[in-house]
Amino acid sequence: MTIQKIRGVLLVGLCFFILPVFCVEDNFSFDEPAQRAMFLELTASLRCPMCQNQNIADSDAMIAHDMRRKVYALLKEGKSEQEVIDYMKARYGDFVYYRPPLNAATLWLWALPVLFIGFVAVYLFRKPRKIEVENREEKLKEAEALLKQDDL
Amino acid sequence: MKKTWLFLIPVSVFLVLVIFLYLGLFSNPRQMDSQADGKPLPAFSLPDLMAPNTTYTPDDLKGEVTILNVWGVWCVTCAVEMPYLTTLRQEQGVRFVGLYFDQDLDPDFGTKTLTRVQQEVTDMLSRYGNPYQYNIFDVYRDTSLDLGVTGAPEHFLIDHRGVVRMHHIGDINQRVWESKIGPRYRALLKEKEEGS
Repeated sequence: MTIQKIRGVLLVGLCFFILPVFCVEDNFSFDEPAQRAMFLELTASLRCPMCQNQNIADSDAMIAHDMRRKVYALLKEGKSEQEVIDYMKARYGDFVYYRPPLNAATLWLWALPVLFIGFVAVYLFRKPRKIEVENREEKLKEAEALLKQDDL
Repeated sequence: MKKTWLFLIPVSVFLVLVIFLYLGLFSNPRQMDSQADGKPLPAFSLPDLMAPNTTYTPDDLKGEVTILNVWGVWCVTCAVEMPYLTTLRQEQGVRFVGLYFDQDLDPDFGTKTLTRVQQEVTDMLSRYGNPYQYNIFDVYRDTSLDLGVTGAPEHFLIDHRGVVRMHHIGDINQRVWESKIGPRYRALLKEKEEGS
């Protein structure tokens, strides 16, 4: 192998060794792995109020940073997952949590697809029978008319 | 009869969809229902930015109609609105109190000294005018979080009982003041005079 080839292999190899360095982020340390999992899940499901379509784990906005810090502090206090979500909702509204609550305004999100399937199903299963009945009646009428013609 | 239904149903569905999407064109995705609106200020005990030995609590904002302005020197829009706010203070006697928070001052890894923050604030206020009665320093940005602040500038219109009556996200300029905040501010002043 020439020196150039070795150099090439080394360069390509180095690229793979650099990658993990980018993974380092905030230093939040947890005693229990379960708490850490909860932290990751919460920061992934809470929405940044400043940058709209990012969760607070991804966002680099100051508010997202502060919210991560708050989530960490609340979990350290021993708060449950739901308590942290409620804490954030009390300050930033339903907007802050990616899963919308079920209320009068959001009911349609669940009801519409079900209603649509229901209507289509009714439409599909009813229609063929009706056509048959109508056709039969029409044909009967036609036949009767023909019979009458014959009688005359 | 049946044919009319076959025609009417898709057309009405289409019309509803068109109206829904048309309204969506003019809706503001940044508009959020404020959770602070209609509630008393959250509890806090924070120092004065310029005189850290003075401490403020929500009780200090009672008795007067106040606009609590969330701002920082790093915020460009804040600098833009500052001269107008100063005019409002001088010409109409509007009472502004600043809720100052710093971006570079990371509470976990403090990198900036208080003196430097004070220096930056003094520089900025001498350049653009000072609309504030005083500035409350939200050191850990906890109070901002409690108020549901998403960035700066934001304004909280607070009545004489210390209840938040309006949460305005964004700057105050002449148009916003005349159409949205000014009338409400005057209504609150009246409320205070009537003692209701």
